[in-house]
Amino acid sequence: MQVQCTWTFPQMRFRHSTSSVLSLSEHLSESFGVRIGSGRGRSCGYPSFVPTMSTVSTEKDTVSTLSDSIQKTPRPLQVAKRLEKFKTTIFTQMSNLAIKHGAINLGQGFPNFDGPEFVKEAAIQAIKDGKNQYARGYGVQELNNAIAERFKKDTGLAVDPEKEVTVTSGCTEAIAATILGLINPGDEVILFAPFYDSYEATLSMAGANVKCVTLRPPNFAVPINELKSAISKNTRAVLINTPHNPTGKMFTREEMNAIASLCIENDVLVFTDEVYDKLAFEMDHISMASLPGMFERTVTMNSLGKTFSLTGWKIGWAIAPPHLTWGVRQAHAFLTFATSTPMQWATSVALRAPDSYYEELKRDYMKKKAILVEGLEAVGFKVFPSSGTYFVVVDHTPFGLENDIAFCEYLIEKVGVVAIPTSVFYLNPEDGKNLVRFTFCKDEETLKAAVKRMKEKLMRK
Amino acid sequence: MEEKLSTVAKSFTSSPIQELSHLAQRCSAINLAEGFPDFPAPAHIKTAAVSAINSDFNQYRHVQGLCDHLAIMAKKMHGLDVNPLTDIAICCGQTEAFAAAVFAIIDRGDEVVLFDPSYETYEGCITMAGGIPVFVALDPPHWTLDPNKLLQSVTRRTKAIVLNSPQNPTGKVFSKDELETIAGVCRTWNCLAITDEVYEHITFENEKHISLASFSGMQERTIITSSLSKTFSVTGWRVGWAIAPAFIASAIRNIHVKITDSAPAPFQEAALTALRSPSEYFESLRRDYESKRDYIVKLLAGIGFKIEFKPQGSIFLFAEIPESCLLSDVEYVKELIKQAGVVAVPGRGFFHTNLSMKKISQEDFSYQERYIRFAFCKSDTTLAAAAQKLGKLSDATGRLKLHHSDT
Repeated sequence: MQVQCTWTFPQMRFRHSTSSVLSLSEHLSESFGVRIGSGRGRSCGYPSFVPTMSTVSTEKDTVSTLSDSIQKTPRPLQVAKRLEKFKTTIFTQMSNLAIKHGAINLGQGFPNFDGPEFVKEAAIQAIKDGKNQYARGYGVQELNNAIAERFKKDTGLAVDPEKEVTVTSGCTEAIAATILGLINPGDEVILFAPFYDSYEATLSMAGANVKCVTLRPPNFAVPINELKSAISKNTRAVLINTPHNPTGKMFTREEMNAIASLCIENDVLVFTDEVYDKLAFEMDHISMASLPGMFERTVTMNSLGKTFSLTGWKIGWAIAPPHLTWGVRQAHAFLTFATSTPMQWATSVALRAPDSYYEELKRDYMKKKAILVEGLEAVGFKVFPSSGTYFVVVDHTPFGLENDIAFCEYLIEKVGVVAIPTSVFYLNPEDGKNLVRFTFCKDEETLKAAVKRMKEKLMRK
Repeated sequence: MEEKLSTVAKSFTSSPIQELSHLAQRCSAINLAEGFPDFPAPAHIKTAAVSAINSDFNQYRHVQGLCDHLAIMAKKMHGLDVNPLTDIAICCGQTEAFAAAVFAIIDRGDEVVLFDPSYETYEGCITMAGGIPVFVALDPPHWTLDPNKLLQSVTRRTKAIVLNSPQNPTGKVFSKDELETIAGVCRTWNCLAITDEVYEHITFENEKHISLASFSGMQERTIITSSLSKTFSVTGWRVGWAIAPAFIASAIRNIHVKITDSAPAPFQEAALTALRSPSEYFESLRRDYESKRDYIVKLLAGIGFKIEFKPQGSIFLFAEIPESCLLSDVEYVKELIKQAGVVAVPGRGFFHTNLSMKKISQEDFSYQERYIRFAFCKSDTTLAAAAQKLGKLSDATGRLKLHHSDT
């Protein structure tokens, strides 16, 4: 129902849906798997736990009328049902354990070196120049322009910075705004597992019905037949992360073409997370939006953080045709309203960096990758090929631990190195139990020190 | 492809405040609409931010010192015992703290009580989470809370009450009695409360901001949200927070991590410096804003506005259009922009017609189109320029004469 003003009667819009509250939570428990530490080994589609905190519906039934209810049985104060998916992340858990044991952290994906001076200077200048108040909700014009220019350079696509670019607090928020702005409760969305954990959580906030297609070692290729059976006219959107966290896989042109034709055939949207696009080592990065027929149905998301080693600044963006941008902007307005002003100005400077910056970035990361990969292979891991990102996924089973979490705990406590267990990136944790993720976004000394520890203390069983 | 938008997104229109700002920009009007300062942020805070960037505080970050300090302030200002390790979530502005709080506690079908007139964003957030906003009208001209109206709006589906005090747009600071009434309802009906206290340090005369959480039985059910923005004139830095009982704060933190992952790191560092500002900073903040308030009240009263209610806090004045003028708020503001070169916000966007209340009360709600919100968080130069421009349009008796233009 298209409503014109903000102040009509929301009650009318939602009255019909309150009766479906129970069925929504039922189907949520069916679609989702479990988190770390609580019951492993459940597969997609298998009924999972019942939300533990929800007793609202039964207690409400004991209250008969408005007037006799003044001293009713107090219901327990509770958080929303959607929070079943939201526990402390594995990253925080592992980081805490790492600190406790003085371990070298190759787990969390942010650099231990800083961003380039010219970008930091630009932010400082912006602060001094008084650019400290609310920016335009969808982005400082300079930045929107710079994003459009960069996108044209990267993909050949000309986009309107005013109507097709939205700046957000990091790519994380771009994803949240895209999903909340464009996905209805009950809509079917397809994810490729393993996936970055915020996707599933945000989709659950939007009440989506998540289906996943699993990418498997050794090269994590897209199983096209599985995808064909998964996508139908009922599918609302597909979410693609390329270059891919955690595997480092980059979707090939063939894979992208296949996905594109399925999406066009079934009228499906595509949301792409391309934050590692500048860390593409073994092949060229391909933006889905640049494929024929795809721009009109694609939201392309990216950010400053990974490319410029400034992950704490939280500048991201979504590029999409106007009718999709509209949805993204609506949600964004209520999530954060505006994005950090001085950092936006600095980002507009960053994005105009010369080609030499990007070439040097790649060279540096390739050197780091070589150190880590050689080290991991020498120690005895089975290392899978990673074409992009600053992640590498390995099979830890040569060391005889029963699963990825046990291995990571052992690695921290006995070896003094942190990796991330990948089971958390799957809907079905079983799929990830043999794999762990290492990152090489650390300075060379740190990488060498980690490799040394592993060579010394990680015995091949 | 329009059908690809979610139902919720389709129901939203762009912010009327932002649209008027665009018109004002096109007419080069003096902007007394949007609530952010046009004077510089305090130097010591900017220095702290610059220093943070240079010291490489630029990666994803959680600054525990910030939580520690917020806990100290909560104790000092409101006598609240807050555990800085578990009860605080740092977010991208109060906006995100509020959004995360709503997502943390509101399920589809939950009702949320709000006091009208109210800031437009609360409703949108609640709706996005599947909640049902229920508005309780405060009574003009002093925007008093009628306890009966509140009681009539609370049902067994009420999950939470949202309280913004000092209030945008009216500048009202809820009295102790009113807060006690709200607290009583929360306790009796076992509801939660979400407060927006962004103007907590901007109160006038002898008004003190009292947090709802400090009332008996309230801390365990209240989520306090606030931010750096208004207190330190850095609305563009996006550092805010939620303070709540541990299990709710934890939920908010987890949601925040999924929405944005972290608030801008260098500004979290600078926030530490900001919050440690000496008491003189806060006193002069109040004094400055109070004199700006007095200036604008005098100026508008002088051109015929009815200022029955002087703001007790916040950076806004909610003024009623002169009786002699028959224009609606929107028409008046349009003329104000075009003829006087000054922009303000028509009040109707802050009122929400509530069908059930109208039917019950037979009250006259026509006042909802007669108010205009002026922001006075502007430099003295700007305010003086506004005075001058408005002065040019006054007639011999000093009353503002707006001519109907042909549009």
